[in-house]
Amino acid sequence: MSPLLEQFLSEARDFLQGIGEKLMELEDAPADVELMTSLFRMVHTLKGNSGLFEFPEMTRVLHAGEDLMDAVRQGRVDYSKELADRLLDAMDFVGMLCDEIEAKGGIGATHAADSARLAESLRQLIATVEGAAAVAVAVALIKTVADVAAADGRPLPLADIPEDVRMNAYRQACDGAVLHWLDYAPAEECFFQGDDPFFQARGTPGLLWGSISARQPWPPLAALDAYRCALDFHLLSAAPRAELDEYYRYMPDQVRMVPVSPLALALPAGDPNGGPVYEDFVVDAMKLLDAGHIEGLGRSVHTLLELSSPYLWLSSALRWLLLLMELAPEDRKAFGTLIESLRHLKAPQWADHELDGTANTAASTIAVTAQESPLTPEEAAALQALVAVQREILNLPVAASWQMGRIKGVAAALSGCLKASGDLAAVPGLEAATATALEEAATAPLLLWLEGKFEQQPKSAVAETTAVATALATGHEVASERPAAALPVGAETEGDTKLGFGRRAEDVAAGPKSLKVDQTKIDRLMNLIGEMVVSKNALPYLAGRAETVFGVRDLAREIKSQYAVINRIAEEMQDAIMQVRMMPVSFVFQRFPRLVRDISRKLGKEVNLVLEGEDTEADKNIIESLGDPLVHIVRNSLDHGFELPAVRLAAGKPAAGTLTIRASQESDRVVIEIRDDGKGIDPMTIKRKAYEKGLIDEAALERMSDQEAVNLVFASGFSTMEVVSDLSGRGVGMDVVRTAVEKVNGIVTLDSEKGKGTRLRLSLPLSMAVTNVMIVESDGQIFGVPMDSVVETVRVPKSAIRTIKKSLATVLRGRIVPLKSINTLLGLATAPKANANDELAVLVVRLGDESVGLLVDDFRETTDIILKPMTGVLARLVAYSGSALMGDGSVLMVLNVKEIL
Amino acid sequence: MAIAYKKSLATFSDVVSVEEAEALLEWLQKKTTARVDLAACTHLHPANLQVLMVAKPAISAWPNDAGLAAWLATALKN
Repeated sequence: MSPLLEQFLSEARDFLQGIGEKLMELEDAPADVELMTSLFRMVHTLKGNSGLFEFPEMTRVLHAGEDLMDAVRQGRVDYSKELADRLLDAMDFVGMLCDEIEAKGGIGATHAADSARLAESLRQLIATVEGAAAVAVAVALIKTVADVAAADGRPLPLADIPEDVRMNAYRQACDGAVLHWLDYAPAEECFFQGDDPFFQARGTPGLLWGSISARQPWPPLAALDAYRCALDFHLLSAAPRAELDEYYRYMPDQVRMVPVSPLALALPAGDPNGGPVYEDFVVDAMKLLDAGHIEGLGRSVHTLLELSSPYLWLSSALRWLLLLMELAPEDRKAFGTLIESLRHLKAPQWADHELDGTANTAASTIAVTAQESPLTPEEAAALQALVAVQREILNLPVAASWQMGRIKGVAAALSGCLKASGDLAAVPGLEAATATALEEAATAPLLLWLEGKFEQQPKSAVAETTAVATALATGHEVASERPAAALPVGAETEGDTKLGFGRRAEDVAAGPKSLKVDQTKIDRLMNLIGEMVVSKNALPYLAGRAETVFGVRDLAREIKSQYAVINRIAEEMQDAIMQVRMMPVSFVFQRFPRLVRDISRKLGKEVNLVLEGEDTEADKNIIESLGDPLVHIVRNSLDHGFELPAVRLAAGKPAAGTLTIRASQESDRVVIEIRDDGKGIDPMTIKRKAYEKGLIDEAALERMSDQEAVNLVFASGFSTMEVVSDLSGRGVGMDVVRTAVEKVNGIVTLDSEKGKGTRLRLSLPLSMAVTNVMIVESDGQIFGVPMDSVVETVRVPKSAIRTIKKSLATVLRGRIVPLKSINTLLGLATAPKANANDELAVLVVRLGDESVGLLVDDFRETTDIILKPMTGVLARLVAYSGSALMGDGSVLMVLNVKEIL
Repeated sequence: MAIAYKKSLATFSDVVSVEEAEALLEWLQKKTTARVDLAACTHLHPANLQVLMVAKPAISAWPNDAGLAAWLATALKN
């Protein structure tokens, strides 16, 4: 899952929560315009966000919600309880989609119909006010989309389909395929949206046949608008419903899918050849049929077929009869109907056949139910299964302690069923029966009610339910794809889901996966892990004491191995907490495009900003401390660095300058590089200015290298600008940058080439919570030196140390390294101690671009410490950057190498 | 070009995109006895189809692509 999607989901949940709350508040104060506006804004934002992704189902519902809120906001529609209910329903649906996206990474196509229905129900509220005619349309649409099994009365033009295609479809249906008739009416303006509905139709899964027709009579050729789609597509498909839903998920409102019963395809067609003259054959055939003499019937049909022209209506009917005899030999009734049709040469009325033909089988009862209620056949099957299970529960032997719970459970499930099936009229009856049952603590009243309500249902339980579903699958309108046996388990929630997407107050919401945590809590965690790191460091001391003081070497070894384990866990823990605090640098980068645009406009310069490595991460504190210095640098660069377009062109550069801000990670540091291709810094100007301001003396002026001169811009109080502008030039800029960066242990370097541009590099630690220091010993005390500044540790023979004037120096790898005694630097009177071989310990540290050797008595280990800055009176001791508590309880003073040298 | 116009015969080939519809409409508006050859056509955008349905030119060859031919027959044969 992409970070963008994750963020969307977490935001969407917040919005949904917010929308829910606002709706509740609105119930108390329906006239509150401010509330309404903020509600609108939330829905609007959520819709906009959802549009970033491929979630048409979600966007459609939100869009309808937005339109509705807009209408309410403008006073075109009044706020009502119903409105709130529908909106909440829609938001529950969106929440459910969010869950699904989170769990599966996408939305299943099955929601397209729900989505369209919800969107319509929302729009309907707008329509109610805006004209009754619109309502009718909306209602008709809902009907279409909600997919009432029986089409709106009009028989499907199945006879348009060629006979061989229909026969093929019939065969497939007998093999278990489900046939659907699709009417696809693309939107008029769809060509402008780049759609190709013909291509869409041609690609329909399981396509058996398709036709194209004009929506209205065509205008004359001269008046034709070729880019206004006026075509309707009609298709017959053998693909499962889910696949079709998936395929047409972007246009559920333009597609009508009607399940087609296989028998409905058996429509003889052809030349009537002068009218019905087959009375003899019909009489003979019916006799054979009544006698059960199927083989004989088959023979006589074959004979007649051979004698007749294949283009006759008669032949067509006979072919169908043969096909039926082959594929559905037990359906005698159908044979009869087909034979009877020969009397009048009129297509058989299969609908009647289905109603009265198999009235005693379970399948047809369900078909009837399905046609009466707005349930899809699948739902009808689920409902039946549900009812059967409730009946079974009621028939269970009485167990006193559970009885009440059972009754209540059954009542709740049944009430859910009634609501789902839209049979609200029956609810009071159920409630009455439940009340009686609870009073008597017996299941009889409920059972009685159940028998009355669902009497068509065969009396006993689940086994037959399965049979029902099977009958459904093979026999009739539509096959249920779900195994009925699997239904009872999740049945109750199922009913609920269909009704209100099951995310009302009562159910357990799946918790969002991201948390918003107060930063102080993370900081506390950080401090704790810091202390843990320190205290774990006490274990090696303990091991040392066990060995030296108590002389138990085995124990020492065991302590050390335990220490290794704890050390590993602590380090992982520390790492994990650090990860929590990590933030991408894009957090500070994101303000630059605007900043650069505004400033360069103001200055009349043309600057292109290039941001790179925005996803580089660092500790939150570091990232936050970067903000101000970066703004200073960018301002400086725009103000001093870039030339005006004319000057640039004269210098042979493109008129628009390029400012690159690049972040990258180098081992445990984040490096931010800000580079411009402006005029660069002229060392001579800098030197002169610095001299004029008294920052350097004449001797320094002569001595100073260009690089050093350029770095003078970091000196406090330095400014090259003659005029102080509102952007920069007050002489604080770069000084502030350096101070801010160094505060978080960062390093700023600057190099510049006159005429070519300037490059600034900020190098910052990834995290500042734990500092790695090297411990050195001198004059019986220990000091810490940050590892960042340590270059190497060497032992130099006394003989290799030269005295140049009063300073000490030695040669290391061909370079002269000045040596300073740490004792002298700290004002300790003792001389550095040499070891047995008469060697002195030298800690080579980096100081800017140079290396300096510190003479110490001995080196100790390196360790992680939590550096606590000096506070109070001690804060003035610049020689130390802070103190830390060691594992053995002693205090370690950490030297500020830059200050003491 | 997915449609080649030659005298009174328009030959369609491969996929005829939506952009062709305007030219086709203009061409058919001018020609009174137009014929179209769809043999090499594999798909045509419905905008073109609409034009053909209204102008009713003589179809000198149906598409070789059986699927497309069946679809077009429902719209153009009558």
